[in-house]
Amino acid sequence: MQRASRAQVTDKDKWNKPVGEPAKKRLRTLTNEQEPLNSSVSSSEKMETDKDGISASGRNLPSTRPQIGENRAHPKKMIISLKKEKPKLPETFEEDTWKKLKMSVHAVHREQPVEQSFEELYKAVEDLCIHKLGPNLYSRLQNDCEEHIKSEIESLVGQPDDATIFLETVEACWQKHCNQMSLIRSIFLYLDRTYVIQSSNVCSLWAMGLQSFRKHLNSAPEVQNKIVSGMLSLILQERSGDMVNRSLLRNLLRMLAQLQLYSSFETAFLADTESFYRQEGSDKLQDLDIPNYLLFVERRIEEEHDRIGHYLDIQTKKPLISKLDAQLLEAHAQTIVDKGFEILMTQHRIKDLQRLYNLLLRVNGLSNIRQAFSAYIKKTGVEIVMNDERGLEMVQDLLDFKARLDELLEQAFASNDELSHALKDAFETLINARQNKPAELIAKFVDQQLRSGGKGISEQESELILERVLILFRYLQGKDVFEAFFKKDLAKRLLLNKSASIDAEKAIISKLKQECGSSFTNKLEGMFKDMELSKDIMTAYSNSSVTSELSVHVLTTGYWPAYPPAPLNLPKEILDHQEAFEKFYLSKHQGRRLTWQNSLAHCSLKATFRPNAAGRKELLVSLYQAAVLLLFNGSDELSFSEIAGAVGMDDKELRVTLQSLACAKIKILNKSPKGRDVEDGDSFTFNSKFESKQLRIKVNSIQLKETQEENDKTTESVFQDRQYQVDAAIVRVMKARKSLSHTLLISELFKILKFPVTPPDLKKRIESLIEREYLERDRDSPSVYKYLA
Amino acid sequence: MRVQVEGWHAVGTWTWNAEDDACGICRLAFDGCCPDCRIPGDDCPIVWGECSHPFHMHCIVKWIGVQGNNVQRCPMCRREWQFKSS
Repeated sequence: MQRASRAQVTDKDKWNKPVGEPAKKRLRTLTNEQEPLNSSVSSSEKMETDKDGISASGRNLPSTRPQIGENRAHPKKMIISLKKEKPKLPETFEEDTWKKLKMSVHAVHREQPVEQSFEELYKAVEDLCIHKLGPNLYSRLQNDCEEHIKSEIESLVGQPDDATIFLETVEACWQKHCNQMSLIRSIFLYLDRTYVIQSSNVCSLWAMGLQSFRKHLNSAPEVQNKIVSGMLSLILQERSGDMVNRSLLRNLLRMLAQLQLYSSFETAFLADTESFYRQEGSDKLQDLDIPNYLLFVERRIEEEHDRIGHYLDIQTKKPLISKLDAQLLEAHAQTIVDKGFEILMTQHRIKDLQRLYNLLLRVNGLSNIRQAFSAYIKKTGVEIVMNDERGLEMVQDLLDFKARLDELLEQAFASNDELSHALKDAFETLINARQNKPAELIAKFVDQQLRSGGKGISEQESELILERVLILFRYLQGKDVFEAFFKKDLAKRLLLNKSASIDAEKAIISKLKQECGSSFTNKLEGMFKDMELSKDIMTAYSNSSVTSELSVHVLTTGYWPAYPPAPLNLPKEILDHQEAFEKFYLSKHQGRRLTWQNSLAHCSLKATFRPNAAGRKELLVSLYQAAVLLLFNGSDELSFSEIAGAVGMDDKELRVTLQSLACAKIKILNKSPKGRDVEDGDSFTFNSKFESKQLRIKVNSIQLKETQEENDKTTESVFQDRQYQVDAAIVRVMKARKSLSHTLLISELFKILKFPVTPPDLKKRIESLIEREYLERDRDSPSVYKYLA
Repeated sequence: MRVQVEGWHAVGTWTWNAEDDACGICRLAFDGCCPDCRIPGDDCPIVWGECSHPFHMHCIVKWIGVQGNNVQRCPMCRREWQFKSS
């Protein structure tokens, strides 16, 4: 532009000189100068001329210079000289100049060296434009170029069919066109910058070239189709794993983009892609297993992205990838999940699952995953829950399973919310798939954790385990079953002083409180309170009395599990203590009744097997065992019936007690005849040959522990409690509604009750309430109940 | 003596020593608690009147409050209510 504006300045100056002169001079310069075009000397000389156009040394206007200076000083003279002469062009000026330009254009088109210097040609264009001959020049140039392009494109018709060769030809042709057009544009730059810019409906030289290229390509559909199909076949080759000339594809696609023909390629390309991947997707799904199929899909997606990066237009990215997703993933989402999900889950293949998740997420496959995920959890979980052989290990299995799922959820499924909900729901279903047993086992598991004599795990670890168990607890519907078993075990831990840590106990109670509210834990807390109170009572008692042999736990009946009455004729030594304490207690707490739980009491005894030091032992025994042993103070040998008569114990309990004393590892008594079981005719003697290295010996009572009977009792008592809850719920509903049909009442109750119930159970309770006159049947329609206030 | 008792650890459970099972005012079991309490036991004790009728302490106190300035009577036997002194 600088150059152009300077040229204009000079032009104005030139108009001030006698007209005709500059044109003539210039013409002479243009025609006479014979130096080769690319001679640097000539162009630099020219440049000098231009720059120093005003200085006297200029070759073109040696004589006029001083005049200008004078004219500037006296402007009036200049006006006069303007009037004198009129500018005029030679007749042949336009034709001559065009001829010269045309020759060079042709030379460019033929790829021959251009004879004139570019500078000179540029000047020629400039001159033509200055004399307003631009439009003509433009149309002449356009015609020439179009003719050339036409012939070029026609030469493409009938080329060999081989894709690569043909495309290379096209590419070369395009390249040539581009080079030529850019050269031509350089020569005709002045035209491009003046006439083209000033006229609104004329496009730039470059665009003109593109336009006619497109026009002729359009009129040769064979060529265009061959280009597209050639490229498609190259891409197909590449997809099949061959190396292809990517720069060739890139150049041709740029060409199509510039010619605005890209969309025709894109449509064909996408259709081609779709059918290719439809075929390949179903083929591969047949041949490959799911993890490999997913790998394959992932690779394909990567490749297509690569393709976009290398030669496809960026606008193709979205439709291309969506086609890919649709054909490879969406169409097969269900199959992928059905065939692969469970195996991957079972084998815990995080990487593969992650891939599956990420890929299916692209095509809204989350619901498929969710279904499969929850189905898998339910299936595997129910297997664990239903497995009778594993017993208590079931809880550990469930915990491990849960931990594994949590890990998967976090690592493979990006902690997806929907899936974690599915996990929760599934766990709730599976853990309640079996009534009561899971709740019971979870309670037992907690008991095991809290009991002393731990398995060498640290406090933190055990807290972590409990934390996780409580998550399982959260899913339980039969929380009352859990409570009953938990309470029973807690009672045992507290009374037998077996709790590993009171802090841990309290921690779990407070967690249960958070989970189920204080009504759930009231009684449990009450148990702890009883323990404290008992301690206070014992302090008070030992202050008032001399005996320090006695320690008593006084329990509030309502808090603790119900213990069956256990008849026992207490030995005199103990009976005295007991009576003394009872008197003391009742004097402190009036209006109370104390019941002794013999089955929970235990004693420490000093036993003298032989008079020497080695013969003296301390025995830790249950009250039953103590009662039996104390009988041997009076006699050497006692028959079963004698013992039974003396202690007045439950027959079954007595047999078990005798068995623990005479048939276990530690034999305090000798039984004759020998044998594992206690029979009616057996007789017992005190074993004075008893030997043991230890001074204190704990005689294990043969389990009063979880017999099936006991468990059934606990479960039954839970059901008993549930009855009251059902009653309460029925009354609550009926009180609010006054009158309700049977079906509506039942469905209402299902909503309220938190444990599983069956309609027949409910019906029984309704009957019972009618009997007790809480409700009555409507006289007109027997299926409607009315509340009786 | 072959065997001597060194120590004895016993467990006893206590219940209210009332003749009735349930409180005559709220009709709830003495083993449980009055309707306003949640936890049975020491926090919701039972009291006896001179007439030897037992009630939840909370229940009878409320009942006496309702009686106002009139002579306070046992709800069971209409005799004048006096707490049984211990």
